[in-house]
Amino acid sequence: MEKNQTNHKIRKVLILKIVFTTKGTSLEAEMDSRFGRSSYLLLYDDANGTMECFDNRAVADAGHGAGPQTAKKVFDLKPDILITGNGPGGNAATILEKTGIVIYIGAGDLTVREALENYQKGLLYRL
Amino acid sequence: MYEIVVISGKGGTGKTSLTAAFAALEGPDTVLADCDVDAPNLHLLMQPDLKMSHDFYSGVIACIDPRLCNDCGVCKSRCRFDAILITEGHYSINARYCEGCGYCANVCPEKAVKMLVRKVGTWSVATTRLGSWMVHAHLGAGGENTGKLVAKVKNEARQVAHNYGKKTILVDGTPGIGCPVISSLSGAGFVLLVAEPSASGWHDLTRISELIQKFKLRAGCIINKTDLNPEISSKIKTQLQKEKITYLGELPYDEAFTAAMTKGRTIIEYNSSSLKNTLSYTWKKIKQITKLERY
Repeated sequence: MEKNQTNHKIRKVLILKIVFTTKGTSLEAEMDSRFGRSSYLLLYDDANGTMECFDNRAVADAGHGAGPQTAKKVFDLKPDILITGNGPGGNAATILEKTGIVIYIGAGDLTVREALENYQKGLLYRL
Repeated sequence: MYEIVVISGKGGTGKTSLTAAFAALEGPDTVLADCDVDAPNLHLLMQPDLKMSHDFYSGVIACIDPRLCNDCGVCKSRCRFDAILITEGHYSINARYCEGCGYCANVCPEKAVKMLVRKVGTWSVATTRLGSWMVHAHLGAGGENTGKLVAKVKNEARQVAHNYGKKTILVDGTPGIGCPVISSLSGAGFVLLVAEPSASGWHDLTRISELIQKFKLRAGCIINKTDLNPEISSKIKTQLQKEKITYLGELPYDEAFTAAMTKGRTIIEYNSSSLKNTLSYTWKKIKQITKLERY
């Protein structure tokens, strides 16, 4: 936990883009604990506090390869950080590892706002 | 709401028997989710009373419209799966062979081939004879298991738990470590491993524990049929310590499990007091762990 906090302090000075896996389209929406079949991807920009929402339901509905497809979408959004529930599965994790996106997990039961606050307090678990 | 997922890596180690046993111990305050959609069997022990049932669609299947088809046979020449039948000069699709690739639809000059969504199974919400709720699914023959159906079952189970204020979700998982298992792990608060001391049981346990480490999930392990091979059993125990998986206890090989199953009862309801004691003790341990903070 301590390690997370120091990490956070270093990163605080940077302008961050964060992607959340969510079930809804607002800050009050619940997080989606799934990565691959997450309903939406929310992109939060720390620079001006704006948010953008991307519909991922088509991928969530795919029979196969939901993980890697979502990983590609996340990569295309070029975030610095991904916040999700359990974390991506093997295939998606391999892709994300190469992108250098930092993944935080353990936000599955929170709302997006709570997840963001918990991240800022350094309460989330870094993969 | 707390989710406990029972998995094993290897099949046949006793996941369903133990899930049912814990369901009997916990009583009406649970929602059961049978995520082993390939070969669901929790319903055999729970005799659920269906409240609603829905079709499940996944993937696509080709279908030739006979009104548009001019019997040219281009589709048959291109199909790599031999899925196009010809009867009396007319073409049709063999649903068992069609993989839904859509090549035929692409090459058909008359646009007579349509890709339709494929019904692969059903999922249902039910109440069990123990008073708990249960969500389970059934894939049709040849229906492909995907994380999608598992995700559906789990999401519905959460919805039921939310609607009826149930605190515990008990998930009976799938063997293996692939897509359906990963899907069943999402949102899990605690993972219960059922190990079996055999060469393949050991091998699959190491694979599944690797997966759990990846997700940083809290896990515990019960060794079932422990007296089958005491040597591997002790090897498993050492390994569990190394991987920081809580050792929850062991059960002997006991034909009472089979006897209870043939009667359609859980081992708890069946007359076998020593097993009952071990299982209640184990369940208590699990409940204690689940009360702790997640990380």
